[in-house]
Amino acid sequence: MKNELLSFVLITTLFFSSFHNNVVAQNSSKEAVLKVEGEVLKPLSISASDFAKIPHVQASMKNREGKLQEYSGVPIIEILKQAGVTLGKELKGENLTKYMLVRGSDGYEVVFSLVELDPAFTNRIIILADMKDGKPLENGVGPFRLVVPEENRPARSVLEVSHLIIRFAKD
Amino acid sequence: MNIESHYRKIILLFVLVAAGIFMAAIDIKPLYVDPYKLEYPDYFGNRISIPEDNPTTKQGVYLGRMLFYETKLSSSKTISCASCHQQKLAFTDGKAFSSGIDNMPTKRSSMSLANLLWVRNFFWDGRAKGLEEQAKFPLNDPHEMGNYVNKAVKELQKTKEYPILFREAFGSAEITGDKITKAIAQFERTLISADSRYDKYLRNEYKPSEQELKGMELFMNSPIPEKNIRGANCAQCHGTPKMYMELFHNNGLDEEPKDIGREEFTGAANDKGRFRVATLRNIALTAPYMHDGRFKTLEEVLDHYNEHIIASKTLSISLRNNSNNINGKNLGLTTDEKSNIISFLKMLTDSTFISNPKFSDPHLKHAINN
Repeated sequence: MKNELLSFVLITTLFFSSFHNNVVAQNSSKEAVLKVEGEVLKPLSISASDFAKIPHVQASMKNREGKLQEYSGVPIIEILKQAGVTLGKELKGENLTKYMLVRGSDGYEVVFSLVELDPAFTNRIIILADMKDGKPLENGVGPFRLVVPEENRPARSVLEVSHLIIRFAKD
Repeated sequence: MNIESHYRKIILLFVLVAAGIFMAAIDIKPLYVDPYKLEYPDYFGNRISIPEDNPTTKQGVYLGRMLFYETKLSSSKTISCASCHQQKLAFTDGKAFSSGIDNMPTKRSSMSLANLLWVRNFFWDGRAKGLEEQAKFPLNDPHEMGNYVNKAVKELQKTKEYPILFREAFGSAEITGDKITKAIAQFERTLISADSRYDKYLRNEYKPSEQELKGMELFMNSPIPEKNIRGANCAQCHGTPKMYMELFHNNGLDEEPKDIGREEFTGAANDKGRFRVATLRNIALTAPYMHDGRFKTLEEVLDHYNEHIIASKTLSISLRNNSNNINGKNLGLTTDEKSNIISFLKMLTDSTFISNPKFSDPHLKHAINN
């Protein structure tokens, strides 16, 4: 009798939980994710909601009109550390020929050398932002946007970032 | 004495058989003997895509060209790749939607083929990585070519010419679906268009008219009304001498698109209504325009970008807030400016490309020769 009761509870729970999942799936399309891959020890796939839980810092950059704007996000270096990219003491020898290809979901692509991102080499902190003025980024910009301070043109501040890909430059 | 002579005969026979086998073995042609030299201008750059397992060879390209024009690949024996990709129209077909074996219209307008060597993700929505992958779609589509490849393989195997051509291209006479798509991809990589008046201008061999020059300047510039710089902002997406960038944008055709475009393939909401930024090379030949062929003329296309961009959540950032007038609501080009841009676009027509005998139907050549 006890067993029957238990299985009834279990089946009912399963039924409602799967029903709930279906409803959720129907109401929202795929959540945007950031993928980190290539020459990494641990490929990552970070959802926007998980990204929001990582400690954030501020960074600012000029927009096309030259106005300084304040963003909040995660330093690229922290994301690459999580993925096990060769940084800090390991960034020497052939690793100095590694680059990061940043791809937006519309297909736009730019590169950075790893040296440009590592605080052992530079004081400039490039962040992957998910907030501007305390609000999520607008459509066509977010959920993730690269913020590259101190550049004269915002061309490398990729919008709608979907991939960070680490590769060796091979001649 | 007799026994010895038998041994000698047996040894002689053995040597002859071994020599015969050896000669037959060396008679098998080594693979990929004649690399096909893909020639293109330096200003196209070298970010080309050729898979390691499908190098471009003269034999592969010829076979691919035969197959590109081969109607035996369709279940009705009436449709080949060339039905929707006709050379005289820069390899498109002049229709909003093409029709395949059963006259059902395709979902999207057939794309012009030129300079595919630099393209990485094919179709209006970028769903196929590489030409080999792309070729599988129309072949396997029940309405386009009738999903007939497996039967076509058997039929081609029975022909006189194809087993020989496959052997020359791939080292063995066995025909497979995989080899068919590889050969077609090799041929398509050779479809390089780089001899338009714009190319000649880039090579200092052509002096554009005043109208063409004005159009070119408007095409390349972004408008900055505060500084009196007029522009149409086309180069934002169609810049570089290849006349496209590999981007997928919503260009403001609809607020709620019937065809959701790239979203269907990625499942991502921000891809709604996004389609490939198509190449503008030979654009004067490839009407009607857009993924659904809704615009019949270049004038209609210019009117769209100038006056009829429809705002939506996924509208390309490049198409928002662009105006030649301070606080202007649209791009604000004049009628003359629009026609100057069209003059420039006509500079992109490559008459050498559309008449190059290397890209024409090789079956017709056979028919004429015979």
